[in-house]
Amino acid sequence: MGSGQKGEGMTDLPPAPPDGRAPSGVLYPGGPEGHQPSSVLIDQTAPLITLRDVRMQFPGVLALAGVSLDVARGEVLALVGENGAGKSTLVSILAGLVSGYDGEVLLDGSPITAGSAKESIALVQQELSLVPEFSVAENIMLGQLPHGRLPGLYDRRKMDAEAQRVLDILGVDLPLRRPVRRLSPAQSQIVEIAKGLARQPRLLILDEPTSSLTTVEAEKLFSAISALRECGVAVLYISHKLDEVLAIADRVAVLRDGRKVTEGPSVEWTEERLIRAMVGRDLSQFYRRTPHTPGNVVLEVKALRAPGRFEDVSFVLREGEVVGMAGLVGAGRTEVAEAIFGLSPARDGEILLNGAPVRVKSPRTAIAHGMALVTEDRRQSGIVGSMATSRNVSLASLVAFSRGQLLRRSVESAEISRVASRVNLARHTLDRAIGTLSGGNQQKAVIAKWLMRTPKVLILDEPTRGIDVGAKSEIYRLVDELTAAGMAVLLISSEMPEILGMSDRVLVMRKGRLVAEFSREDATEESLMAAASDASTRNGERSW
Amino acid sequence: MVTTEEEAVRAVPEADVTPRGRQLRTATTIARDYGMHLALVALIVIFAIASPDFRTVENLLNILNQVAVVGIVSVGMTFVILTAGIDLSVGSLLALTSLSSGVFAATQTSTTGTVLLALAVPLIVGLVGGMINGAIVASRLATPLIVTLGTLTAFRGMAVQYRVNPIHNLQDWYREIGSGRTAGIPNGIYIFIAIILVASLVLNRTRFGREVYAVGGNEQASRAAGINVARVKFAVYAISGLCVAVAAIINTSRIGAAQAIAGQGLELQAIAAVVIGGASLFGGRGKISNTVIGTLILGVLFNGLVLLNVSSPIQNIIIGALVVAAVSLDGFFRRRSA
Repeated sequence: MGSGQKGEGMTDLPPAPPDGRAPSGVLYPGGPEGHQPSSVLIDQTAPLITLRDVRMQFPGVLALAGVSLDVARGEVLALVGENGAGKSTLVSILAGLVSGYDGEVLLDGSPITAGSAKESIALVQQELSLVPEFSVAENIMLGQLPHGRLPGLYDRRKMDAEAQRVLDILGVDLPLRRPVRRLSPAQSQIVEIAKGLARQPRLLILDEPTSSLTTVEAEKLFSAISALRECGVAVLYISHKLDEVLAIADRVAVLRDGRKVTEGPSVEWTEERLIRAMVGRDLSQFYRRTPHTPGNVVLEVKALRAPGRFEDVSFVLREGEVVGMAGLVGAGRTEVAEAIFGLSPARDGEILLNGAPVRVKSPRTAIAHGMALVTEDRRQSGIVGSMATSRNVSLASLVAFSRGQLLRRSVESAEISRVASRVNLARHTLDRAIGTLSGGNQQKAVIAKWLMRTPKVLILDEPTRGIDVGAKSEIYRLVDELTAAGMAVLLISSEMPEILGMSDRVLVMRKGRLVAEFSREDATEESLMAAASDASTRNGERSW
Repeated sequence: MVTTEEEAVRAVPEADVTPRGRQLRTATTIARDYGMHLALVALIVIFAIASPDFRTVENLLNILNQVAVVGIVSVGMTFVILTAGIDLSVGSLLALTSLSSGVFAATQTSTTGTVLLALAVPLIVGLVGGMINGAIVASRLATPLIVTLGTLTAFRGMAVQYRVNPIHNLQDWYREIGSGRTAGIPNGIYIFIAIILVASLVLNRTRFGREVYAVGGNEQASRAAGINVARVKFAVYAISGLCVAVAAIINTSRIGAAQAIAGQGLELQAIAAVVIGGASLFGGRGKISNTVIGTLILGVLFNGLVLLNVSSPIQNIIIGALVVAAVSLDGFFRRRSA
């Protein structure tokens, strides 16, 4: 069912079943309002969703500090803001995933409940929530598989047909019976979106839907969104890609530090103005990069190769230099960092530190050679959540303050205080289990852990993901100070402004290969994106 | 005792919460951190009131002496559980080390050299047994549960194969270790206390102890911080084996016989003691002093129930329920502080 057919049920409403759902097989007959039995009683010009002064407090963070917002029927509202601005929290509240907030959230004028949220709102998140072993069709229809003839069985043919119908709306073609684990990340993302759509929501929330999509794929998504708008479905669109936001949204709302700072029709915005609203200050002040001439080569990577992860990666890192590493999710940047640091060593290639080849078999050897890695996933591999912050900070340097096996605890706590104040980590956080701290404080502690060792090479993998603006700017300041003192920094980031604002040089990876290098002067958001996204799929090479 | 590892680590929220929330949280924290202390005191009070035989100095010393064996094994088990592992082989290893001690302590083989052998050989056997567990677990080829389930069977098989008949008639000096007294207090209690002190020192004051907590708390993060995770895992099983050997010597000496059927079900008692002491089976949380409390709770409960003429099956039902309750409480608090 393409956009041309979407109005067919307008005059011929199918009888609504008692549960208010459309009979299976009919997706949005006459718009989603058509199958809502109560719709006659509801003022169609009133907003679909109304938020009034919504506040949400998490341990350590005020995630939302009183947000009021309307989402109209059939509008595409873009929600922009930095990581930690409160977008995810707001979305989780709407989807009924979290409770315990203050303020009002109204759906059709009545307070939203877990039940009504489930009925009317579909959330498509970045983290894939698909079952890898299930087929495309099964994943799309998960939770609403059509019943078969015998109880407990489902009708495979019907399921495939309905899944196909959803994919038609999106204008894409996917093999319905193929298990999702055999799809590309972009294809999985499409399945994720289709799954959300299959529930026939009245509000579809898309959280960074294009982060792993190529340009062509993204274009298809945009036309599908337009088609949904025609059906009266509201779309809440969250993205860091501001050009997309301005192209597709009717309205834009900007969140910063848990507050809605501004909103308005997207025609009134420019990317620059949006960024200024998101950051709350000029970018030139936000990113701190004192220019200075880089020194000797500290780290040299030659023809590093790990089959299936990355191929033929070579680059150098000089003293006092920040080298940014850009690329799409899954391009192999994290894998390269993990290979250099010995977490999962490369099969071939050479790593040279200060000109001497080193064999890095484990993080232990990498650390001994003066390297440090702030990992992408803090909870999984950055912190020991149950341990005190102070003990996390000293974890990589225990040898330095022990005599034999015995720990010299006074020396240890002196060292902890020193690095904690260096990264501006408040004293009162030190004795607490690090797992209870905010993301920003956790990240500062992780960085403090490495500073204690005064590494020569610091690899930062998405260092500001999920942390608040304040901690973010402190991390930038710190990176600037450290490089001024001669440290070499490899900065892996998916945030373009961060890469552009902090890097002296930028490397771009695509599909496991280093494909481009830009000087600070030549690097622009456009040039990086062009290098990072695959030109061959842009020409429609990929099957779907 | 040495100041404890986790005293400073409380799941206190970083920012202020509502007064009611804070009260609730404080109550939860107290219940989590001191619940077992309160339970122990309550048990002692109840039994002291209910049974005149219970509230004698002699009986209390008796309890302490009885818990020494399980207690020492539990101390070793604490190291293992702190790394999110488990050691099911302790009971079988106790039998094996008992026999290897008894052989050299029997009267018919009495020479001066055997005094040392009756102590040294079981320690070596225990250490090697633990190192076998540790080596396989550290290689990550099989999970701790499976590895030690296998060695539980294998060690028992070795013990029975080696000698079916018990070794009685142990030498007098050997009997003194477990049944003798110094200054009116059973010798086993001194050994138990010494082990507790050494173990606390290792866990709280050494690099290795810190690494044990880190590996149990988050293995990946520990590896990324340069900790030799395999070595830590290997070592905790070796420590467990060594503790088993010490316990075996005391046990053999006290009952006056080394036998291949010794220590059956010991693994469950030791795990129960550690878990009742509030350690998390997911690793990273627990301490020696709490394990000791857990051991005492079990010991007091056994002793009191016996004195009140509660039959052995009923005792088992009560102990079993207690273990499930303790683990459920742990799960409850985890969810709370998450």
